Amino acid sequence: MTDPLVYARFVHFAATIAATGVVFFVVLVFEPAVRGAAADARVFKSLRTPLAAIAWSGLALAIASGAAWLVLNAAAMSGEPVADAVAADVLWTVLAQTTFGIGWLLRLVLACSLAAAFVRLLAADADKPLWLEAAAIAMAVAFVGSLAWAGHAIGGQGVEGVLHPAADALHLIAAAAWLGTLVPLALLLGLNANDAAALATMRAATLRFSTLGLLSVGTLLATGIVNTWYLVGSVAALLGTDYGRLVVLKIALFLLMVAIAAVNRLRLTPKLVEDRSSTAVEGARRQLRRNAMIEASLGAVVVAVVAVLGVLPPASHGHHASELAIPVEASFQHIHTVQGMADVVIEPGRIGTATATIHLSNDEGETLDARQVTLTLTAPTPGSEARTYTAEHNDDDNWQVAGVALTERGDWSIEVDALLRSGQRLDLKAGIVIEAN
Amino acid sequence: MAKFLGVVSLLTALLAASAAQAHAFLDHASPLVGSTVATAPPELTLTFTQNLESAFSTVTVTGPNGARVDTGKAQVSGNTMRVGLKAAGPGTYRVRWHVLSVDTHTTQGSFTFRVGGGR
Repeated sequence: MTDPLVYARFVHFAATIAATGVVFFVVLVFEPAVRGAAADARVFKSLRTPLAAIAWSGLALAIASGAAWLVLNAAAMSGEPVADAVAADVLWTVLAQTTFGIGWLLRLVLACSLAAAFVRLLAADADKPLWLEAAAIAMAVAFVGSLAWAGHAIGGQGVEGVLHPAADALHLIAAAAWLGTLVPLALLLGLNANDAAALATMRAATLRFSTLGLLSVGTLLATGIVNTWYLVGSVAALLGTDYGRLVVLKIALFLLMVAIAAVNRLRLTPKLVEDRSSTAVEGARRQLRRNAMIEASLGAVVVAVVAVLGVLPPASHGHHASELAIPVEASFQHIHTVQGMADVVIEPGRIGTATATIHLSNDEGETLDARQVTLTLTAPTPGSEARTYTAEHNDDDNWQVAGVALTERGDWSIEVDALLRSGQRLDLKAGIVIEAN
Repeated sequence: MAKFLGVVSLLTALLAASAAQAHAFLDHASPLVGSTVATAPPELTLTFTQNLESAFSTVTVTGPNGARVDTGKAQVSGNTMRVGLKAAGPGTYRVRWHVLSVDTHTTQGSFTFRVGGGR
């Protein structure tokens, strides 16, 4: 079953990157290149229409998908079905009283401000006031960076609570600066290179893009490591969970993109910029354009992976979730000590004969291997004799005892005594409540 | 372009998972999960692994005879949730919590604790 939230997230991330990418491209790459190449406004005019198309459709799709994301989240948060969640008070509660909702309102304001900026930024003349360019960059940075507060980067304690969202925001900004400028660059490289002004602009732009790309890749790498540390946390989780394996896929795609970027920077860009032969220059131009499109396609797949990652539980968060599904009639106890944890389910949890299921895990939530596990029960009546059962290991990594005799209701004492495969002894004691029939 | 979008959509569909799972887990409680305390506690404190949103986070506590003993709305601060309790005598108290973490996912769970000695 596919989750509509994944699609809403995918469109929203892709549209945000596309729209902010136009800002980064125009302000950081294109206009400086036009000025540096002493090219006239013709070059700028020839790209105006496609850039405007990307910018406006990006903003429109971001707003539409943002609305869908809000409604789907409101339904999930309130537990109401989508139709009821659209009711005014649920949506208003989300918007006014949750971090996600407040961030959403901020991004709506930023989207509208960016729309206003685009009107001037994409106008026909090539000379834009500095304050407008600076404001547009600031709004684009805030628009994409604030997505860090709509995902898994927030909610941690201590240092993590500050460092993780900071790293994630930088990660998002760098991703938009690189991925978002690839398609505009490809469009520029698609102009007729026989025009001297166009060629000079292409050369200057490719050099500037190269630097931007290098800074972005460095930032993505450093912040990606921080994010992975917090969200995955161990090699075991990286390889052993769905979440971790998707992160591996994301990293593989990233490395592939970097490899192509390396070819662009080390081989093709020098050829485009310095080579005397016009055929070599033309060949480099075509290849750079094609590589930029290939990188953009890979980038889109990365965004799809990110869309899915956001709805899965991070691999490092599996900490306290019980491995056992707890039936309604069962009695359950979670015993947690430094050496390890035990989840004990006694079903049915009332007077009679029951089956006890025990799951042992360490502090990280990983199942502990044991050679032998016994379960001792003592009835609530003072002076009752303790009864010890030897548990059997079953296929689900659990230990089971059938035929547990529960003779009275009340607060029983249970003791889980496990001899671990590591040789260590785990001895956990707690109470468990047994009901009357 | 259309073919490319089609491939990406298909890939997204293949990768898409169906349900989000719990994120803020109960780290510890006071009174402790499964413990026995001598006198009825004036309040219950739950500490979670992630920060919570006050909106949509609730907790109910029922006393030995099944009546509600929690007083008013729970107070949420960072990753803790506190609610006052009415004294309802010795016996088993059952806690049912349902929280929303700031990363927009809900979790729920329940546990019991006992008040007073003897049965």
